[in-house]
Amino acid sequence: MTTVLRSEPARVDVDEPRPLATELSGSDRTFVLSTRSIAVTVLVITGGIGLFLAWSAVPTMQRYGLGFLTETQWEPESDKLGIGAVLVGTFTVASVALVVAFPLSLLAALYIAEYAPPGLRAPLTSLVDLMAAVPSLVYGLWGFFLLKPYVADVAHWLHQHLGFIPIFRVDTDPDAAVWDRSAYTASAFLAGLAVAMMVIPMATAVMRQVFSQTPPGEREAAFALGATHWGVVRTVVLPFGRGGIIGGTMLGLGRALGETIAVLLIISPSFDLKFRPLEIGTNTISALIAGRFGEAADTQLAALLAAGFVLFVITLVINSLAAMVVARSRSGAGADA
Amino acid sequence: MNQSLLVRPARAGVGVVLLAIAVLIASSRPAEAAYAQIEGSGSTWSQVIVNQWITDVSANGIKVTYTGRGSSAGRKAFAAGTTDFGITEVPYQGSGAQGGDDPPPKNRPFSYVPIVAGGTAFTYQVRVGGKMVRNLRLSGDTIAKIFTNKITNWNDPAIAKDNNGTKLPSLKIRPVVRSDGSGTTAQFTAWLDSQHASDWRPFFGRAGLTSYFPRKGNATGANGSDQVMNTIADAAGNGTIGYVEYSYPVNKNFPVVKVLNQSGYYVEPTQYNVAVALTKARIRKDLTQDLLGVYTAQDKRAYPLSSYSYLLLPTGAKDQRMTTSKRQSLADFMFYSLCEGQTKAGKYGYSPLPLNLVQAGFTELSKLKRADPKVNLNDRSVTKCNNPTFVPGNLSANKLAQIAPMPASCDQQGQGPCTTRTGTAPTSVEQVTKASGAGGGSGGSGGASGGDGSAGGASDAPGAGAAIDPETGLPVGSASSGGGAATVAVQTELTAGRAGDDAIFGTLAAVELLAIILAPGVVAVALRRRTRSTTGARS
Repeated sequence: MTTVLRSEPARVDVDEPRPLATELSGSDRTFVLSTRSIAVTVLVITGGIGLFLAWSAVPTMQRYGLGFLTETQWEPESDKLGIGAVLVGTFTVASVALVVAFPLSLLAALYIAEYAPPGLRAPLTSLVDLMAAVPSLVYGLWGFFLLKPYVADVAHWLHQHLGFIPIFRVDTDPDAAVWDRSAYTASAFLAGLAVAMMVIPMATAVMRQVFSQTPPGEREAAFALGATHWGVVRTVVLPFGRGGIIGGTMLGLGRALGETIAVLLIISPSFDLKFRPLEIGTNTISALIAGRFGEAADTQLAALLAAGFVLFVITLVINSLAAMVVARSRSGAGADA
Repeated sequence: MNQSLLVRPARAGVGVVLLAIAVLIASSRPAEAAYAQIEGSGSTWSQVIVNQWITDVSANGIKVTYTGRGSSAGRKAFAAGTTDFGITEVPYQGSGAQGGDDPPPKNRPFSYVPIVAGGTAFTYQVRVGGKMVRNLRLSGDTIAKIFTNKITNWNDPAIAKDNNGTKLPSLKIRPVVRSDGSGTTAQFTAWLDSQHASDWRPFFGRAGLTSYFPRKGNATGANGSDQVMNTIADAAGNGTIGYVEYSYPVNKNFPVVKVLNQSGYYVEPTQYNVAVALTKARIRKDLTQDLLGVYTAQDKRAYPLSSYSYLLLPTGAKDQRMTTSKRQSLADFMFYSLCEGQTKAGKYGYSPLPLNLVQAGFTELSKLKRADPKVNLNDRSVTKCNNPTFVPGNLSANKLAQIAPMPASCDQQGQGPCTTRTGTAPTSVEQVTKASGAGGGSGGSGGASGGDGSAGGASDAPGAGAAIDPETGLPVGSASSGGGAATVAVQTELTAGRAGDDAIFGTLAAVELLAIILAPGVVAVALRRRTRSTTGARS
């Protein structure tokens, strides 16, 4: 019993494309060369940053091993350095920011792209873009001086009434006669609110652009079938823009993970591994680096650079994922995010 | 001369050479000395007074920039050669010994110059019935237990005992500590390690001082002295206590804890009490301080957490950053600070240096001339300083320590507590001497100016009978009745609600919130449908 493999006959009718002469003219060649070298420079710079950070992370990784990622304490004096708690804090702040920013930017983008009267569309677009131009320090001050006095009440209310959900828990008695107001300030929640303000313009811009690229044919077809405006949005615009929604959100996440000065201003630095965003005290990688950079010597400096490398990798992965999602979706087929 | 210098380069055209000559000539005539901008960073403990000095000398054309980033950052920047000077409370701690990370500069000769004295104060916000308590007193032991999380509530009996039985309401204590590397933390933990090792060492995990407070439990970290002060003064700061230099609460008009000293008196870190305590400091050869004697000073007036702050002076002749004009700027800035500048110390919540330390500082400054002979240090003498500590004929004596008022008798352990406000430097000498009465103080006529006599009546010595509080108009209870101070009434505690209600009301609130958002849209849609159906029926 032998299996005879069916051998494909060589195809003879394959069309061989005629070789084209791709000789470029002198000016074309110059242009291609110069743009290519500029593009390569950008890649080299980005790659150089990554390589530099990776190289600087080596001594720390050799010294602390993988424990660097899980150790929660940051005590240079007792030689205990780790970013476990800081990593969790980074993601806590970013999650709060996204929870706040996602619905706001999705609805803002939908309104601008679909519902706003044409006269209002341009000013609204530039207004949202203007939000991106506000320095992050200003958002930090905004959070510190304007939000801080009120956020404690909101957080206390959430704790008091939704405290049975673990993430709304705070390590204090919410029903005390004099409730501990100080337990609810300088939290990841407050920092997340400020960071959300920086995520919104970014996410809104991407989403709005994608929504406005909805093929007019499909949209008109839906209208012709008797769909309401909301029906069109639901069945045509949103499915078409799904890639843009995810991509814009993830770009925003990348921004939120790296936000430094606003977070540094607002939070009270602590190195506890906890999942209680309403409670005082948290820390993020970038805030840790900014806060400790000035006084760090030798080992601590190397450890800070290693923490920077971890942040670099995380942001790189998230942004690449976002780019992939956007590129693979229908809405991103024409344009790279 | 200057005019010819300006004209000549244009004429000759060899600017570079003449510029060099110009610099040489200018530096040889320091009366109109060419100053260059100098930069420094470090301690926030002494930042308030340093900033004031910088403002003062800028009138003379000396430009100094100073950034308070914490003593650790100041030492690091100086060691790395990125600043011209640094300011720190503690000397370089070295590296390696305990995995520390604070090596002294490798190739930058330097010396420590004491610049000002002061007290590490404990400021707090505790409200009783919405009113801030302003006369809290604590023993060192209680403070140590608070910052090591052993005492966690303001109604702790130890705190009541320190205040002669006056009980504070049930409120969680939130210690506010420095999150950055800090000289204030180092001074505080040095005291903890020396005097309260049984509390500190198990908490810290080892012996010794640290610049990074091991934040645990309910404690909160804040970056820099001003942020510690802001956290405590914040609207949400009820229940907080933190450690900063006395000038910070004074500026914010916040109270400070009166700390119990060895002879049984609760004292505030005024310039007098700090000066008295620091007469017991042992100054080492490199001018750094050994504060053991200060912690245990037997004087009734001594504030135990007093210390000096230091400037890191680059003395090397080959220092990379220093030039003649920079050295001149630094020298003249320091001469002003050590000399005239000291008169301002008391007003800002610090204490002036005794003259022997000023003299030692001058000696260190002369190293700048040794490094660079072109620096002009003529005509600078200790005796010309208008230093408030000056006692003719004895440089090591401190006038302030001699005239310092004795603490009021209501500040004694087991007495009082006094109802006078704290955190209002300069303390009026008259006010305190009036109240002390039996204290046997050599009060003197009071060197401090600017004390307001209006608050003076508020201090009631025990046995004075029913005094009338000028603020409230109510009789102030005698000390023996458990401290009748109007500001510290005993609270009745009630719970705000039943815990079981939360889930129901929470759900209800969520539903209501949804309803508020959705209702207008739903109503609009319903109305439109109705209109459409009626118009549809008609057509």
